[in-house]
Amino acid sequence: MNFLYFDPGLGAMIVQAVVAAAAGILLFSKGVMYKVKGFFGLNKEEEDPYDSIDVEEKESETDAKKDN
Amino acid sequence: MPKKTTDFHEASFRDPSGAMFYDEKVLRRRINPIYFPQYTKLKESGFFKTLHDNSLLISHEETAVSEAEIIITPEPIPFITNPYEWSFEQYKHAALHTLKLQKYALSKGFILKDASAYNVTFHKGAPIFIDTLSFDFYEEGTPWRAYKQFITHFFGPLVLAKYHGSEIFKMMQTHIDGLPVKLIASMLPGKTKLSTTLYTNIHLLAKMESKHSEDYKAETKVAKLSRKGQENVIDSLYNYIKDLELKEASEWGNYYTKTNYEQQAFEGKKTQIQEWVSLLKPQRLIDIGGNDGTFARTVLKNVPDVIVTDIDANAVGQNYEMARKQKESNMLAFVCDVLQPAPGIGFNNTERNSLIERLHNYAPDVTMALALIHHITLSGNVPFEKSAEFFAKFSTHLILEFPTREDSWVESLLVRKREFINHFDFYNEVSFEEGYQSYFTIEKKVTLPGTKRILYLLKNKTR
Repeated sequence: MNFLYFDPGLGAMIVQAVVAAAAGILLFSKGVMYKVKGFFGLNKEEEDPYDSIDVEEKESETDAKKDN
Repeated sequence: MPKKTTDFHEASFRDPSGAMFYDEKVLRRRINPIYFPQYTKLKESGFFKTLHDNSLLISHEETAVSEAEIIITPEPIPFITNPYEWSFEQYKHAALHTLKLQKYALSKGFILKDASAYNVTFHKGAPIFIDTLSFDFYEEGTPWRAYKQFITHFFGPLVLAKYHGSEIFKMMQTHIDGLPVKLIASMLPGKTKLSTTLYTNIHLLAKMESKHSEDYKAETKVAKLSRKGQENVIDSLYNYIKDLELKEASEWGNYYTKTNYEQQAFEGKKTQIQEWVSLLKPQRLIDIGGNDGTFARTVLKNVPDVIVTDIDANAVGQNYEMARKQKESNMLAFVCDVLQPAPGIGFNNTERNSLIERLHNYAPDVTMALALIHHITLSGNVPFEKSAEFFAKFSTHLILEFPTREDSWVESLLVRKREFINHFDFYNEVSFEEGYQSYFTIEKKVTLPGTKRILYLLKNKTR
Protein backbone atom coordinates (compact mmCIF):
# COMPACT_ATOMS: atom_id res chain seq x y z
CA MET A 1 0.00 0.00 0.00
CA ASN A 2 1.37 3.33 -1.00
CA PHE A 3 -0.40 6.42 0.08
CA LEU A 4 1.08 9.73 -0.77
CA TYR A 5 0.39 13.15 0.51
CA PHE A 6 2.24 14.81 -2.29
CA ASP A 7 2.12 14.41 -6.06
CA PRO A 8 5.00 12.20 -7.21
CA GLY A 9 4.66 13.73 -10.69
CA LEU A 10 3.64 11.41 -13.52
CA GLY A 11 6.48 12.62 -15.73
CA ALA A 12 8.90 11.83 -12.93
CA MET A 13 7.52 8.30 -12.65
CA ILE A 14 7.81 7.64 -16.37
CA VAL A 15 11.21 9.24 -16.81
CA GLN A 16 12.80 6.92 -14.27
CA ALA A 17 12.90 4.07 -16.79
CA VAL A 18 15.08 6.21 -19.08
CA VAL A 19 17.17 7.49 -16.17
CA ALA A 20 17.71 3.93 -15.00
CA ALA A 21 18.76 2.73 -18.45
CA ALA A 22 21.23 5.59 -18.86
CA ALA A 23 22.52 5.07 -15.33
CA GLY A 24 22.93 1.37 -16.03
CA ILE A 25 25.11 2.04 -19.06
CA LEU A 26 27.11 4.65 -17.15
CA LEU A 27 27.70 2.40 -14.15
CA PHE A 28 28.59 -0.51 -16.42
CA SER A 29 31.13 1.50 -18.40
CA LYS A 30 32.62 2.88 -15.19
CA GLY A 31 32.98 -0.66 -13.89
CA VAL A 32 34.72 -1.73 -17.10
CA MET A 33 37.07 1.27 -16.95
CA TYR A 34 37.88 0.44 -13.34
CA LYS A 35 38.79 -3.11 -14.30
CA VAL A 36 40.87 -2.01 -17.26
CA LYS A 37 42.72 0.54 -15.12
CA GLY A 38 43.13 -2.08 -12.42
CA PHE A 39 44.73 -4.40 -14.96
CA PHE A 40 47.35 -1.76 -15.67
CA GLY A 41 47.62 -0.81 -11.99
CA LEU A 42 46.28 2.67 -12.51
CA ASN A 43 43.60 2.79 -9.84
CA LYS A 44 44.31 5.40 -7.22
CA GLU A 45 43.39 4.76 -3.65
CA GLU A 46 41.29 7.78 -2.78
CA GLU A 47 40.50 8.97 0.66
CA ASP A 48 36.75 8.99 1.03
CA PRO A 49 35.37 11.55 3.48
CA TYR A 50 31.85 10.24 2.95
CA ASP A 51 30.74 6.84 4.06
CA SER A 52 30.00 4.12 1.58
CA ILE A 53 26.41 3.89 0.31
CA ASP A 54 26.12 0.45 1.86
CA VAL A 55 24.82 0.09 5.38
CA GLU A 56 26.77 -2.15 7.73
CA GLU A 57 24.80 -4.82 9.47
CA LYS A 58 25.93 -6.33 12.70
CA GLU A 59 25.92 -10.07 13.33
CA SER A 60 23.30 -9.88 16.05
CA GLU A 61 20.76 -8.93 13.44
CA THR A 62 20.97 -12.11 11.43
CA ASP A 63 17.99 -13.58 13.23
CA ALA A 64 15.87 -10.59 12.50
CA LYS A 65 16.87 -10.66 8.86
CA LYS A 66 15.32 -14.07 8.28
CA ASP A 67 11.95 -12.38 8.13
CA ASN A 68 12.77 -10.70 4.87
CA MET B 1 5.84 35.46 18.43
CA PRO B 2 2.48 33.89 17.47
CA LYS B 3 0.99 31.69 20.12
CA LYS B 4 0.32 28.13 19.03
CA THR B 5 -3.22 26.94 19.45
CA THR B 6 -2.46 23.21 19.48
CA ASP B 7 0.27 21.09 20.90
CA PHE B 8 1.05 19.76 17.44
CA HIS B 9 4.50 20.34 16.15
CA GLU B 10 3.92 22.51 13.13
CA ALA B 11 6.37 20.68 10.92
CA SER B 12 4.59 17.35 10.61
CA PHE B 13 0.93 17.84 9.77
CA ARG B 14 1.29 16.86 6.12
CA ASP B 15 1.76 13.17 6.69
CA PRO B 16 -1.44 11.18 7.51
CA SER B 17 0.72 8.40 9.02
CA GLY B 18 1.20 10.35 12.21
CA ALA B 19 2.31 13.61 13.72
CA MET B 20 4.74 15.13 16.16
CA PHE B 21 3.32 16.75 19.26
CA TYR B 22 4.50 18.25 22.51
CA ASP B 23 3.69 16.35 25.66
CA GLU B 24 4.53 19.11 28.10
CA LYS B 25 8.06 19.85 26.94
CA VAL B 26 8.80 16.45 25.46
CA LEU B 27 8.50 16.02 21.73
CA ARG B 28 6.74 12.76 20.84
CA ARG B 29 5.41 11.17 17.69
CA ARG B 30 1.91 9.78 17.33
CA ILE B 31 1.47 6.95 14.82
CA ASN B 32 -1.99 6.48 13.35
CA PRO B 33 -3.52 3.02 12.68
CA ILE B 34 -3.12 3.56 8.93
CA TYR B 35 0.65 3.21 9.44
CA PHE B 36 0.59 0.31 11.95
CA PRO B 37 1.42 -2.42 9.36
CA GLN B 38 4.52 -0.56 8.17
CA TYR B 39 5.63 0.35 11.67
CA THR B 40 5.25 -3.20 12.97
CA LYS B 41 7.16 -4.69 10.08
CA LEU B 42 9.94 -2.09 10.30
CA LYS B 43 10.30 -2.77 13.98
CA GLU B 44 10.06 -6.55 13.93
CA SER B 45 12.34 -7.11 10.97
CA GLY B 46 15.15 -5.28 12.77
CA PHE B 47 15.14 -2.52 10.16
CA PHE B 48 14.83 0.28 12.70
CA LYS B 49 17.48 -1.34 14.88
CA THR B 50 20.07 -1.45 12.09
CA LEU B 51 19.39 2.19 11.25
CA HIS B 52 19.59 3.21 14.90
CA ASP B 53 22.80 1.23 15.46
CA ASN B 54 24.39 2.96 12.50
CA SER B 55 23.12 6.41 13.60
CA LEU B 56 21.30 6.79 10.30
CA LEU B 57 17.85 7.37 11.80
CA ILE B 58 17.07 9.20 15.02
CA SER B 59 16.54 6.60 17.73
CA HIS B 60 13.26 6.36 19.58
CA GLU B 61 11.54 4.58 22.42
CA GLU B 62 8.06 3.19 22.29
CA THR B 63 6.10 5.09 24.91
CA ALA B 64 2.54 3.79 24.55
CA VAL B 65 0.70 1.30 22.38
CA SER B 66 -3.06 1.10 21.95
CA GLU B 67 -5.47 0.23 19.16
CA ALA B 68 -5.99 3.86 18.35
CA GLU B 69 -2.38 5.02 18.35
CA ILE B 70 1.22 4.18 19.02
CA ILE B 71 3.32 6.86 20.68
CA ILE B 72 7.07 6.92 20.24
CA THR B 73 9.52 9.32 21.81
CA PRO B 74 12.50 10.18 19.65
CA GLU B 75 15.87 11.20 21.04
CA PRO B 76 15.76 14.99 21.42
CA ILE B 77 17.78 17.14 19.04
CA PRO B 78 18.86 20.40 20.69
CA PHE B 79 18.87 22.54 17.56
CA ILE B 80 17.37 21.91 14.13
CA THR B 81 19.13 23.40 11.13
CA ASN B 82 17.30 23.71 7.82
CA PRO B 83 18.58 23.12 4.26
CA TYR B 84 18.93 26.85 3.57
CA GLU B 85 21.35 27.04 6.49
CA TRP B 86 23.70 24.31 5.34
CA SER B 87 27.09 24.63 3.73
CA PHE B 88 27.73 22.81 0.48
CA GLU B 89 29.46 19.93 2.28
CA GLN B 90 26.54 19.51 4.65
CA TYR B 91 23.97 19.67 1.85
CA LYS B 92 25.91 17.10 -0.11
CA HIS B 93 26.24 14.83 2.87
CA ALA B 94 22.51 15.08 3.65
CA ALA B 95 21.72 14.11 0.04
CA LEU B 96 24.06 11.10 0.17
CA HIS B 97 22.53 10.13 3.49
CA THR B 98 19.06 10.08 1.95
CA LEU B 99 20.20 7.92 -0.99
CA LYS B 100 21.97 5.55 1.35
CA LEU B 101 18.76 5.07 3.32
CA GLN B 102 16.72 4.53 0.17
CA LYS B 103 19.16 1.93 -1.11
CA TYR B 104 19.18 0.07 2.16
CA ALA B 105 15.40 0.29 2.46
CA LEU B 106 15.02 -1.13 -1.03
CA SER B 107 17.24 -4.07 -0.21
CA LYS B 108 14.94 -4.86 2.71
CA GLY B 109 11.66 -4.49 0.85
CA PHE B 110 10.94 -0.90 1.86
CA ILE B 111 11.20 2.50 0.24
CA LEU B 112 11.51 6.07 1.38
CA LYS B 113 8.09 7.41 0.54
CA ASP B 114 9.39 10.95 0.62
CA ALA B 115 12.80 12.52 0.15
CA SER B 116 12.29 15.94 1.65
CA ALA B 117 15.46 17.75 2.67
CA TYR B 118 13.69 18.59 5.94
CA ASN B 119 13.78 14.91 6.87
CA VAL B 120 17.49 15.29 7.48
CA THR B 121 19.22 17.48 10.02
CA PHE B 122 22.61 17.54 11.71
CA HIS B 123 23.12 15.98 15.08
CA LYS B 124 26.28 14.84 16.86
CA GLY B 125 28.45 15.96 13.98
CA ALA B 126 26.68 14.03 11.24
CA PRO B 127 23.50 14.05 9.17
CA ILE B 128 20.64 12.11 10.65
CA PHE B 129 17.24 11.17 9.26
CA ILE B 130 14.52 12.41 11.58
CA ASP B 131 11.25 11.27 10.01
CA THR B 132 10.67 7.77 11.34
CA LEU B 133 7.41 7.44 9.40
CA SER B 134 8.97 8.02 5.98
CA PHE B 135 9.35 4.32 5.20
CA ASP B 136 6.78 2.32 3.31
CA PHE B 137 6.52 -1.11 1.69
CA TYR B 138 8.21 -1.55 -1.67
CA GLU B 139 5.94 -2.84 -4.40
CA GLU B 140 7.84 -4.89 -6.95
CA GLY B 141 8.20 -3.07 -10.25
CA THR B 142 7.21 0.41 -9.09
CA PRO B 143 9.43 3.44 -9.67
CA TRP B 144 10.61 5.49 -6.70
CA ARG B 145 7.75 7.81 -5.85
CA ALA B 146 9.99 10.25 -4.02
CA TYR B 147 12.36 10.50 -6.98
CA LYS B 148 11.10 13.89 -8.10
CA GLN B 149 11.24 15.18 -4.56
CA PHE B 150 14.84 14.05 -4.30
CA ILE B 151 15.66 16.03 -7.44
CA THR B 152 13.84 19.19 -6.33
CA HIS B 153 15.09 19.09 -2.74
CA PHE B 154 18.61 17.73 -3.15
CA PHE B 155 20.00 17.02 -6.58
CA GLY B 156 18.80 20.22 -8.26
CA PRO B 157 20.01 22.62 -5.56
CA LEU B 158 23.38 20.84 -5.37
CA VAL B 159 23.99 20.94 -9.10
CA LEU B 160 22.91 24.59 -9.22
CA ALA B 161 25.31 25.37 -6.35
CA LYS B 162 28.12 23.92 -8.41
CA TYR B 163 27.50 26.58 -11.07
CA HIS B 164 26.16 29.48 -9.00
CA GLY B 165 27.63 28.98 -5.52
CA SER B 166 26.03 27.87 -2.30
CA GLU B 167 23.91 31.05 -2.15
CA ILE B 168 21.52 28.94 -4.23
CA PHE B 169 20.49 27.01 -1.12
CA LYS B 170 18.78 30.14 0.16
CA MET B 171 16.20 29.57 -2.58
CA MET B 172 14.93 26.72 -0.45
CA GLN B 173 13.62 29.41 1.87
CA THR B 174 11.14 30.52 -0.75
CA HIS B 175 10.41 27.02 -2.08
CA ILE B 176 9.56 24.80 0.84
CA ASP B 177 8.65 21.94 -1.52
CA GLY B 178 11.93 22.16 -3.38
CA LEU B 179 12.98 24.08 -6.48
CA PRO B 180 10.72 23.49 -9.49
CA VAL B 181 12.42 21.17 -12.00
CA LYS B 182 11.76 23.61 -14.84
CA LEU B 183 13.49 26.39 -12.92
CA ILE B 184 16.47 24.17 -12.15
CA ALA B 185 16.76 23.20 -15.83
CA SER B 186 16.52 26.83 -16.95
CA MET B 187 19.28 27.94 -14.58
CA LEU B 188 21.78 25.34 -15.71
CA PRO B 189 24.28 26.13 -18.48
CA GLY B 190 23.53 24.54 -21.87
CA LYS B 191 26.54 22.26 -21.66
CA THR B 192 24.89 20.31 -18.84
CA LYS B 193 22.68 18.73 -21.51
CA LEU B 194 25.75 16.82 -22.63
CA SER B 195 26.07 15.08 -19.28
CA THR B 196 24.15 11.81 -19.24
CA THR B 197 23.30 12.16 -15.55
CA LEU B 198 22.26 15.81 -15.74
CA TYR B 199 20.39 15.42 -19.03
CA THR B 200 18.26 12.52 -17.83
CA ASN B 201 17.72 13.57 -14.21
CA ILE B 202 17.02 17.23 -14.87
CA HIS B 203 16.46 18.31 -18.48
CA LEU B 204 14.53 15.24 -19.56
CA LEU B 205 12.64 15.19 -16.27
CA ALA B 206 11.61 18.82 -16.81
CA LYS B 207 10.37 17.96 -20.30
CA MET B 208 8.42 14.93 -19.16
CA GLU B 209 6.92 16.85 -16.28
CA SER B 210 5.51 19.57 -18.49
CA LYS B 211 4.31 16.99 -21.03
CA HIS B 212 2.33 15.09 -18.41
CA SER B 213 1.28 17.98 -16.24
CA GLU B 214 -2.31 17.85 -17.51
CA ASP B 215 -3.06 14.28 -16.64
CA TYR B 216 -5.70 15.29 -14.12
CA LYS B 217 -7.44 11.95 -14.03
CA ALA B 218 -4.28 9.94 -13.55
CA GLU B 219 -5.30 7.85 -16.55
CA THR B 220 -1.96 7.33 -18.23
CA LYS B 221 -0.62 3.86 -17.64
CA VAL B 222 1.40 3.38 -14.51
CA ALA B 223 5.12 3.37 -15.19
CA LYS B 224 7.16 0.28 -14.37
CA LEU B 225 10.71 0.05 -13.15
CA SER B 226 12.61 -3.04 -12.03
CA ARG B 227 14.33 -3.13 -8.66
CA LYS B 228 17.69 -3.29 -10.42
CA GLY B 229 16.70 -0.25 -12.48
CA GLN B 230 15.87 1.68 -9.35
CA GLU B 231 19.16 0.68 -7.79
CA ASN B 232 20.93 2.03 -10.85
CA VAL B 233 19.16 5.36 -10.47
CA ILE B 234 20.20 5.58 -6.81
CA ASP B 235 23.78 4.46 -7.41
CA SER B 236 24.38 6.85 -10.28
CA LEU B 237 22.94 9.79 -8.35
CA TYR B 238 25.10 8.81 -5.39
CA ASN B 239 28.27 8.65 -7.46
CA TYR B 240 27.50 11.93 -9.16
CA ILE B 241 26.77 13.82 -5.94
CA LYS B 242 29.81 12.35 -4.20
CA ASP B 243 32.08 13.89 -6.84
CA LEU B 244 30.33 17.27 -6.89
CA GLU B 245 32.56 20.13 -5.86
CA LEU B 246 32.07 23.77 -5.24
CA LYS B 247 34.45 26.34 -6.59
CA GLU B 248 33.82 29.67 -4.99
CA ALA B 249 36.23 31.93 -3.19
CA SER B 250 35.52 32.41 0.49
CA GLU B 251 34.46 35.80 1.73
CA TRP B 252 37.08 35.47 4.42
CA GLY B 253 39.42 32.96 2.88
CA ASN B 254 42.04 32.19 5.46
CA TYR B 255 40.64 34.63 7.96
CA TYR B 256 43.01 33.71 10.73
CA THR B 257 46.08 34.16 8.60
CA LYS B 258 44.87 37.68 7.82
CA THR B 259 44.18 38.88 11.34
CA ASN B 260 45.42 42.30 12.27
CA TYR B 261 46.92 41.24 15.55
CA GLU B 262 49.89 39.21 16.68
CA GLN B 263 49.97 35.58 17.65
CA GLN B 264 50.44 36.60 21.27
CA ALA B 265 47.32 38.75 21.23
CA PHE B 266 45.47 35.86 19.63
CA GLU B 267 46.53 33.61 22.50
CA GLY B 268 45.56 36.30 24.99
CA LYS B 269 42.05 36.46 23.58
CA LYS B 270 41.78 32.68 23.74
CA THR B 271 42.89 32.56 27.36
CA GLN B 272 40.46 35.29 28.39
CA ILE B 273 37.54 33.51 26.73
CA GLN B 274 38.50 30.18 28.26
CA GLU B 275 38.68 31.80 31.67
CA TRP B 276 35.20 33.34 31.45
CA VAL B 277 33.65 30.23 29.97
CA SER B 278 35.08 27.98 32.68
CA LEU B 279 33.64 30.42 35.20
CA LEU B 280 30.16 30.28 33.66
CA LYS B 281 30.14 26.49 33.09
CA PRO B 282 27.64 26.62 30.22
CA GLN B 283 25.76 23.55 29.01
CA ARG B 284 25.06 25.22 25.70
CA LEU B 285 27.12 27.79 23.89
CA ILE B 286 26.69 29.54 20.57
CA ASP B 287 29.34 31.49 18.71
CA ILE B 288 27.74 33.93 16.30
CA GLY B 289 30.02 35.00 13.49
CA GLY B 290 32.35 32.26 14.68
CA ASN B 291 33.95 31.65 11.26
CA ASP B 292 35.41 28.12 11.12
CA GLY B 293 35.01 27.55 14.85
CA THR B 294 38.57 28.44 15.88
CA PHE B 295 37.53 30.19 19.09
CA ALA B 296 34.64 27.89 19.91
CA ARG B 297 37.10 24.99 19.69
CA THR B 298 39.15 26.45 22.53
CA VAL B 299 36.25 25.75 24.90
CA LEU B 300 34.79 22.71 23.13
CA LYS B 301 36.06 20.23 25.72
CA ASN B 302 34.25 21.99 28.55
CA VAL B 303 30.88 22.60 26.93
CA PRO B 304 28.54 19.68 26.13
CA ASP B 305 26.81 21.42 23.22
CA VAL B 306 28.38 24.04 20.96
CA ILE B 307 26.97 25.78 17.89
CA VAL B 308 28.99 27.97 15.55
CA THR B 309 27.33 30.03 12.89
CA ASP B 310 28.75 32.29 10.24
CA ILE B 311 27.66 34.18 7.15
CA ASP B 312 30.41 32.50 5.15
CA ALA B 313 29.27 29.11 3.90
CA ASN B 314 32.86 28.08 3.14
CA ALA B 315 33.97 28.69 6.70
CA VAL B 316 30.96 26.70 7.89
CA GLY B 317 31.90 23.91 5.50
CA GLN B 318 35.47 23.89 6.79
CA ASN B 319 34.21 23.80 10.34
CA TYR B 320 31.90 20.90 9.52
CA GLU B 321 34.68 18.89 7.91
CA MET B 322 37.07 19.59 10.75
CA ALA B 323 34.46 18.48 13.28
CA ARG B 324 33.95 15.27 11.32
CA LYS B 325 37.65 14.60 11.05
CA GLN B 326 38.24 15.19 14.74
CA LYS B 327 35.01 13.42 15.71
CA GLU B 328 33.71 16.41 17.65
CA SER B 329 30.16 15.26 18.20
CA ASN B 330 29.24 18.35 20.23
CA MET B 331 29.98 20.83 17.45
CA LEU B 332 27.23 21.99 15.11
CA ALA B 333 27.93 24.44 12.28
CA PHE B 334 25.42 26.33 10.18
CA VAL B 335 25.18 29.33 7.89
CA CYS B 336 23.44 32.48 9.06
CA ASP B 337 23.45 36.12 8.10
CA VAL B 338 22.72 37.99 11.31
CA LEU B 339 21.32 40.89 9.29
CA GLN B 340 18.69 38.64 7.71
CA PRO B 341 18.18 35.56 9.88
CA ALA B 342 16.05 32.74 8.48
CA PRO B 343 12.33 33.56 8.79
CA GLY B 344 9.51 31.21 9.75
CA ILE B 345 8.33 29.58 6.52
CA GLY B 346 5.64 27.29 5.15
CA PHE B 347 1.95 27.07 5.96
CA ASN B 348 0.96 29.60 8.61
CA ASN B 349 4.62 30.69 8.61
CA THR B 350 5.17 28.03 11.25
CA GLU B 351 6.21 24.84 9.43
CA ARG B 352 9.85 25.77 9.85
CA ASN B 353 10.65 28.01 12.76
CA SER B 354 12.46 31.27 12.39
CA LEU B 355 16.04 31.39 13.54
CA ILE B 356 15.19 33.66 16.47
CA GLU B 357 12.52 31.22 17.65
CA ARG B 358 14.92 28.28 17.42
CA LEU B 359 17.66 30.20 19.21
CA HIS B 360 15.18 31.22 21.89
CA ASN B 361 14.22 27.57 22.42
CA TYR B 362 17.82 26.45 22.35
CA ALA B 363 18.51 29.02 25.08
CA PRO B 364 22.31 29.05 25.08
CA ASP B 365 23.90 29.79 28.45
CA VAL B 366 26.69 31.65 26.72
CA THR B 367 26.55 33.57 23.45
CA MET B 368 29.80 34.70 21.88
CA ALA B 369 30.01 37.52 19.36
CA LEU B 370 33.68 38.06 18.69
CA ALA B 371 34.64 40.88 16.37
CA LEU B 372 31.15 40.89 14.90
CA ILE B 373 29.74 44.12 16.29
CA HIS B 374 31.61 46.40 13.87
CA HIS B 375 30.13 44.46 10.93
CA ILE B 376 26.61 44.66 12.32
CA THR B 377 26.97 48.32 13.23
CA LEU B 378 29.05 49.71 10.38
CA SER B 379 28.22 47.41 7.45
CA GLY B 380 24.64 46.79 8.52
CA ASN B 381 23.96 50.27 9.96
CA VAL B 382 22.31 48.67 12.98
CA PRO B 383 22.27 50.95 16.07
CA PHE B 384 23.76 49.45 19.25
CA GLU B 385 20.43 49.28 21.00
CA LYS B 386 18.94 47.24 18.15
CA SER B 387 21.75 44.71 18.05
CA ALA B 388 21.55 44.47 21.86
CA GLU B 389 17.85 43.69 21.47
CA PHE B 390 18.71 40.90 19.01
CA PHE B 391 21.18 39.24 21.37
CA ALA B 392 18.87 39.71 24.36
CA LYS B 393 16.17 37.62 22.66
CA PHE B 394 18.05 34.40 23.30
CA SER B 395 21.23 35.05 25.30
CA THR B 396 21.84 34.73 29.02
CA HIS B 397 25.51 35.65 29.11
CA LEU B 398 27.07 37.43 26.18
CA ILE B 399 30.79 37.56 25.52
CA LEU B 400 31.23 40.39 23.06
CA GLU B 401 34.41 41.68 21.50
CA PHE B 402 34.30 45.35 20.65
CA PRO B 403 36.93 46.61 18.21
CA THR B 404 37.40 50.30 18.97
CA ARG B 405 37.64 53.04 16.37
CA GLU B 406 41.42 52.69 16.42
CA ASP B 407 41.25 49.08 15.26
CA SER B 408 42.51 48.90 11.68
CA TRP B 409 39.44 47.02 10.42
CA VAL B 410 37.04 49.47 11.96
CA GLU B 411 39.12 52.23 10.40
CA SER B 412 38.82 50.66 6.98
CA LEU B 413 35.05 50.17 7.39
CA LEU B 414 34.74 53.82 8.43
CA VAL B 415 36.85 55.09 5.57
CA ARG B 416 34.52 53.34 3.14
CA LYS B 417 31.70 55.54 4.40
CA ARG B 418 33.44 58.43 2.64
CA GLU B 419 31.51 61.69 3.06
CA PHE B 420 29.14 60.02 5.51
CA ILE B 421 31.94 59.12 7.89
CA ASN B 422 30.76 61.53 10.59
CA HIS B 423 27.34 59.85 10.58
CA PHE B 424 29.14 57.07 12.41
CA ASP B 425 30.72 59.09 15.20
CA PHE B 426 28.49 57.10 17.55
CA TYR B 427 30.69 54.08 17.00
CA ASN B 428 32.60 54.30 20.27
CA GLU B 429 32.94 52.62 23.64
CA VAL B 430 30.60 54.99 25.46
CA SER B 431 27.65 54.72 23.06
CA PHE B 432 28.19 50.99 22.85
CA GLU B 433 27.87 50.60 26.60
CA GLU B 434 24.91 52.92 26.69
CA GLY B 435 23.07 50.97 23.99
CA TYR B 436 23.81 47.56 25.45
CA GLN B 437 22.88 48.57 28.97
CA SER B 438 19.23 48.77 27.92
CA TYR B 439 19.28 44.97 27.88
CA PHE B 440 22.47 43.87 29.59
CA THR B 441 24.56 44.60 32.63
CA ILE B 442 28.31 44.79 32.18
CA GLU B 443 29.86 42.14 34.40
CA LYS B 444 33.42 42.30 33.17
CA LYS B 445 35.42 44.41 30.76
CA VAL B 446 38.98 43.78 29.61
CA THR B 447 41.16 45.42 26.98
CA LEU B 448 42.79 42.64 25.01
CA PRO B 449 46.53 43.14 25.27
CA GLY B 450 48.27 43.92 22.02
CA THR B 451 45.00 44.92 20.28
CA LYS B 452 42.66 47.88 20.02
CA ARG B 453 39.77 45.73 21.16
CA ILE B 454 37.73 45.38 24.34
CA LEU B 455 36.22 42.12 25.52
CA TYR B 456 32.95 42.42 27.47
CA LEU B 457 31.13 39.90 29.59
CA LEU B 458 27.49 40.96 29.64
CA LYS B 459 24.52 39.51 31.50
CA ASN B 460 20.99 39.71 30.18
CA LYS B 461 18.76 41.63 32.57
CA THR B 462 15.53 40.94 30.68
CA ARG B 463 15.52 37.20 31.45
